Amino acid sequence: MELTFWWVIPPAMILAAMVPWRAFRPDPQANARRRPVANADRLTALPEYQAALRRHRRWLAVAALAAGTLLLSAAAAAARPAQLTTIRPEQRNRDIMLCLDTSGSMSSADSAVVKVFAHLATEFDGERIGLTIFDSSAVQVFPLTDDYEYVQQQLKLAGDAFDGNAGSAGFLDGTWNGRGSSLIGDGLASCVNGFPGVDAADAGKQRSRSVILATDNYLSGDPIFTLEQAGALAQDRGIRVHALNPGDFDYGPGPGQPGARLRAAAETSGGTYHPLDSPEAVAGIVRNVQETEAAAMQGAPRAVVSDVPDVPLTVALLSGLVLAGASWRLRA
Amino acid sequence: MTSLLTRVKSKMSLFAHRKARGMLDGQYGSVFRGRSLDFDDLRAYIPGDDVRDIDWKASARHGSPLIKRYVAVRRQTVLLIADTGRNMAAEALDGEPKRDIAVMALGVVGYLAHRHGDVVGLVCGDGTTTRTVPAKAGEAHLERLLQEIDSAATLDSGPSRIEAQLEHVARTVKGRFLLFVVADEATAGPDTEPLLRRLRAQHEILWLTIRDADLAGGTAGQDAFSVADSSALPGHLAAAPAIVEAYARAAAERDAGRQAMFRRTGITVGHVTGSSTVMSGLFALLERHRRAG
Repeated sequence: MELTFWWVIPPAMILAAMVPWRAFRPDPQANARRRPVANADRLTALPEYQAALRRHRRWLAVAALAAGTLLLSAAAAAARPAQLTTIRPEQRNRDIMLCLDTSGSMSSADSAVVKVFAHLATEFDGERIGLTIFDSSAVQVFPLTDDYEYVQQQLKLAGDAFDGNAGSAGFLDGTWNGRGSSLIGDGLASCVNGFPGVDAADAGKQRSRSVILATDNYLSGDPIFTLEQAGALAQDRGIRVHALNPGDFDYGPGPGQPGARLRAAAETSGGTYHPLDSPEAVAGIVRNVQETEAAAMQGAPRAVVSDVPDVPLTVALLSGLVLAGASWRLRA
Repeated sequence: MTSLLTRVKSKMSLFAHRKARGMLDGQYGSVFRGRSLDFDDLRAYIPGDDVRDIDWKASARHGSPLIKRYVAVRRQTVLLIADTGRNMAAEALDGEPKRDIAVMALGVVGYLAHRHGDVVGLVCGDGTTTRTVPAKAGEAHLERLLQEIDSAATLDSGPSRIEAQLEHVARTVKGRFLLFVVADEATAGPDTEPLLRRLRAQHEILWLTIRDADLAGGTAGQDAFSVADSSALPGHLAAAPAIVEAYARAAAERDAGRQAMFRRTGITVGHVTGSSTVMSGLFALLERHRRAG
C-alpha cells in the first residue's frame, strides 16, 4: 500500500489539528448574538433540561467524531492510496498442433486428447490450434486457427470418429495408403511442417510452438523420416514435442525400445514425455502440459499501480451520512 | 447623555392620554395620607383621592368636587431600593433590559414623590456592595439617582442579591420610610421572610417585581446566555414541550411561594413585564396599597 500524493497528509493533519483548536477556542464575541438572561439555573437545574442537554452533548460528540473521521478518510482518499503489484502477464500467442496417431490401438487415447482440447478451446483467447492425424500418411484435418467454434466442431467430429460412432468413418479417410502403418516420423514431420512461416527469422514476434503427439511408437513400415529425424526437425524450428504414449510396454531400459525412443525425441525438442496408464489420465496431463507451456511463455514481470480508494471512500461516505444525521438531529 | 427623568416624564404624559396622569398623583397622595392643619390650596378631585379630603363646601360652590391640599407637616421620605446586580442587565419578559424597566418604575415613583414634595433616597447595589444616596428633594437629585442605577446595573456588576440591600436598610436606616423595592423574580428563601417581617414592622413597603424572561417556550427559541456565568443556553433545547411544561410548573410554584411570602409579611406587590406596562403596573400597585392601608 502506497500513497501517491503523500504530501496531502501533513496539511490535512495541520487542518485536523486546527479545527478543534478553532472550535474550542472561547469566542469573546459569542455572547453578543445571544440575549442575556438571569436566573438561568432555574432552567438548567430542571432534570428534563439536563437530560436534553446530555442528549445534545452526545449528538455533538457523534457529530464531532463523524466530522473527524470524514476529514481523515477524505484526506486518506485524497492522498490516493495505491496498490503496487508486480504481475507476470500471461502471453497467449501460442500455437498448438495436435498430432494424433490413428492406428487402431490409439483410438481411446486420441478420443481423450480431442475431448480435452475441445474443452480447452472454450477457454482459449489468442491461441491457435491445429489438428493433424496420421497413420501411414498424414492428413491435416484443420490448420492452425483461432476459429474456436470451428475447432470445437472438428474436434467433436474427431472424437466421434475415434469413439467409433456410426457415420463418422469418413473422418479418417486418407490416413492409410498401404505403405505401412503408424509411420510416426512422417506424421511428426507433417505436423512440424504444419506451422507457418517457420523460416521467418523475426524472433521478436515468435509464437510459442508445441506439438501434442499421441502415439505408441509402434512402427510398421518404412517411413521417409525416422522419429529421430522428425524430432531434430522440430528442434531446429523451435517446436516442443509433448508425447503421450498409451502403450508404454518397453522391455527393459534399453535405448532402442519404442517408449525410450519417443521419450528421447520429445525431450530433445525441449518437450515432455508422458506414459499413459488410462485414457482418463489424459486430461490431467494435457492441462499440466498447457500450464507448463503457459508458465514458460510468461512475459517479464511488470509493476502495476492500481488505486485502492474503496476503504477510505467508504469510510468517508459512512461518516458523512452519520454527520448528516447527527446535524439533522442537532437542528431538530 | 439623555436625561432619564425626561424619558420618565414623557412616558407619564403618554400614559396621561389614556388615563389621567393625575390619577397616579391621587393614588400616591392617598398612599401617603400626609395631612396637616396648614391648608395650602384646592385642586380638582381625582379618582383615587381620599373622600375625606373633599372640601364639600368649596365643592358645592364650585359645582365639582374639590380636594383640600395641605402643606405636609413632615416631609415623607421615599427610599428607592433597587437591585443593580448583573441580573438587572438581563432581559425581562418583554425583551427589554430589566434595568430600563427598573429606571422607568423608580423614576415614576420618584417623580410622584417629588411632586408631592417628598424627599427621595436610594439604596442600590449587588451581592457584594451596597451604595446609599441620602434622601434629598429636587429633580436634579432624582436624575442623579436614576443615572446611578442606570450606570451601575451592567453585565460586569456583581451577582444580584436584593437581600443584601434590604439587610443594609434594616441595619442603617432609622425612622419610618416608604420603601419602594424594585427587583426581579427573587426566590422566597428562608432568610428573606424574617427580614421582610423586620422591615415591614418599621416601614411601609411597596414591592415591584420585574418578570424575568421566559427561558423555556415563547421567545426561548433564540440562543441566550446566563448573566451569572456567561454560559450559553441553546435555544432549541429549551423549546422541547416537556421542558417548557416543567419550567412553567416550576415557575408557577416559585410565583406562588413568593406571593404567599409577601402576603404573610403584609407587603404590597405588583409586577411589570416591560416598560410599556410600568404605568398600569404601578397604578395597580398603588391602588392595592391604598386599599390595603
